[in-house]
Amino acid sequence: MASSEDSFPVLKVLIIGPSGAGKSALLLRYCDDQFDPESSTATIGIDFKMKKLAVRGKAYRLNIFDTAGQERFRTLSTSYYRGAHAVILVYDITNRKSFLSMERWIDEARSNASPDAVLYLVGSKLDKVASGGRAVSYEEGKAFADAQGAGFCEISSKTRENVRRPFVDVVDRIVQKPELLSSANAPKSSGGSALNLGAASDSVSACAC
Amino acid sequence: MNTSEDPVAVEEPKQQDEPENRDATDGREEPADAESRPDTSSIRRSEIFRRASIWQHPDAAARGLAFPRAYTLALAPQIIHTRSKLLTQLVSSRAYRQVEFLSVGSYFVYNATGVDSDSKLARIPSSREDVFSTQSIPLRSKRSLMKFLKFVVDYEYEEHKPIWEEQAGIPLADFLSTEFKLDEDLQKYILALTLTLDGKVTVKDGLAIIHRHLTSMNLFGPGFCAVYPKWGGSSEIAQVACRAGAVGGGIYMLDTRMEIDEGSKGGEISITLSDGVKIRTRSLISSQKDPVGNGECITRLVAVANSPLKPLFEVTLEGAPTPAVAVVAFPSNSFPGISDSESDTPVYAFVHSSDTGECPVGQSVVYLTTLTTPQAEQRLSAALNTLLNTVPSVDKTPTCLYKLQYEQTVTPREALTSARGGAPVFELPSPNLSLSFNDDPLDIVKAAWKLIMKNDASFEEAEAGYMIFQDREGMGDHDDD
Repeated sequence: MASSEDSFPVLKVLIIGPSGAGKSALLLRYCDDQFDPESSTATIGIDFKMKKLAVRGKAYRLNIFDTAGQERFRTLSTSYYRGAHAVILVYDITNRKSFLSMERWIDEARSNASPDAVLYLVGSKLDKVASGGRAVSYEEGKAFADAQGAGFCEISSKTRENVRRPFVDVVDRIVQKPELLSSANAPKSSGGSALNLGAASDSVSACAC
Repeated sequence: MNTSEDPVAVEEPKQQDEPENRDATDGREEPADAESRPDTSSIRRSEIFRRASIWQHPDAAARGLAFPRAYTLALAPQIIHTRSKLLTQLVSSRAYRQVEFLSVGSYFVYNATGVDSDSKLARIPSSREDVFSTQSIPLRSKRSLMKFLKFVVDYEYEEHKPIWEEQAGIPLADFLSTEFKLDEDLQKYILALTLTLDGKVTVKDGLAIIHRHLTSMNLFGPGFCAVYPKWGGSSEIAQVACRAGAVGGGIYMLDTRMEIDEGSKGGEISITLSDGVKIRTRSLISSQKDPVGNGECITRLVAVANSPLKPLFEVTLEGAPTPAVAVVAFPSNSFPGISDSESDTPVYAFVHSSDTGECPVGQSVVYLTTLTTPQAEQRLSAALNTLLNTVPSVDKTPTCLYKLQYEQTVTPREALTSARGGAPVFELPSPNLSLSFNDDPLDIVKAAWKLIMKNDASFEEAEAGYMIFQDREGMGDHDDD
């Protein structure tokens, strides 16, 4: 018997980083296999995307959150980070300033997310290397990630290169932390003390008619 | 665009390392870099929160006070009764999905003459079964209490109106005594449920509040009548709303002030933000800053205790969720040693467990509130000490590690409407001081929304769909390894 999809552990993964780093491009390529080379405007309308991913033979449901352009005014508020199992930090390898901002983004993730949350660094726009656009070397990115205890890879949402890897690696790291995973296994409304207002209000309206 | 002059003025979860320079202060002073910025010298902060002070136990770290980020203290915590329209709107807007709600559990009343901790902190029965099974109420009183509770549930029915309508304006306590023969203890229970700050609620208001309390019970689950958002209360709802706005393409900026430019004209208001950016808008929603003279004012004391205060968070009904908030009422005249020239007023304590995410596991946060009077500070302090010394504790007497105290007052209660350069300016009143969220702000927010939307061609359609949104979930493909 296949297990019900609702019983998959739910993992909350955030994508953060400076404007224009390619966060939404990564999200859309990975989740919908879409890429719009013309789109360079700030993201509107994407809250999060859901993706089922099996790692080591076990299936997980990833809820991958985008910043919705909130990084432009540094208004990613504390509630964005609640309950995140992993934070993927994206910078643009053709833009040095973008890479240099990573330290501040790591600080922000560390101070707001759970101390156990997995951090993962992604250098984007790998396709631009061919045209001589690289401004941050692979080694530099890797060394910074290592120093922060974060995973690392470079990707291209345009060519699909490595687009899956951050997510697979992140899940792999999460499942090695039982204390992180325990919150993913418990559905929000049972166990613990959190209430499910939606379910309750449905039954209320059902009673009323 | 909508903006507010002080978008984080209220209920922002306060970080412990900076309470003296944030909203709770008498904050006319500008941030240090303000001088280098244009046109901000006349901008001032609201004085709704004022006279703040903090205290830390000299041995705090050794006794368990953690790093500042481990705490998220609410400045103006309110519980939300499940009958509140706020919850209806949170559900219809699907915003509830981003908020974790916890249940508010037992209400306790402090009784100075009690002989043990059970009688000193008496739990108010929350249901009919509860009333029957409780040992603390004599049988005769139980009958009167049941009669009253039955009455309140249908008090607005025509046949019940003659019982109270003519007495609508008298104190509820008098009515309880004459009409229902409730003894003094039961009167205290009922008054505690109203959470009224002066302890002198009228029959009309009191019945409405008790009615809401009783009809909220079991609505969203067994054994509770109110909820509280995890991680700091209403500020979480504000953040979720901002996020929803951002996803919808709105822009919000925190900690940014603004000033209306003199040159506003032609149906547009020109605004300069504190970072120097200039914008124009066809309507402006802002918040009032000036406290009303002699307005209602409360003194708040927020205390971090190094104990989970477990006995306050027991599940009293099978199948009920573990409560994260307990309410303790100290009725008027609970502390005879402390008396004001004016009559003594009650103190209410909201005790939050670490399930709220506001403090580390093993600790709790106590939010005490009383009307501001010359003795308010002593009353709050006495209530806190009494609470910590009365709740049964397995090992050691709970110690207070940290205290934050301040006053909160109000602006005039009506929204202010004016015009600049031919465009409307709408100024929201400050939050009310009610300890349980009352729905008034929802009407004022809707009025602001109408002001912005009224000239929209599809206004009627938009109004029909007010606060109704779809879930924001996107489903991707399967990705199997």
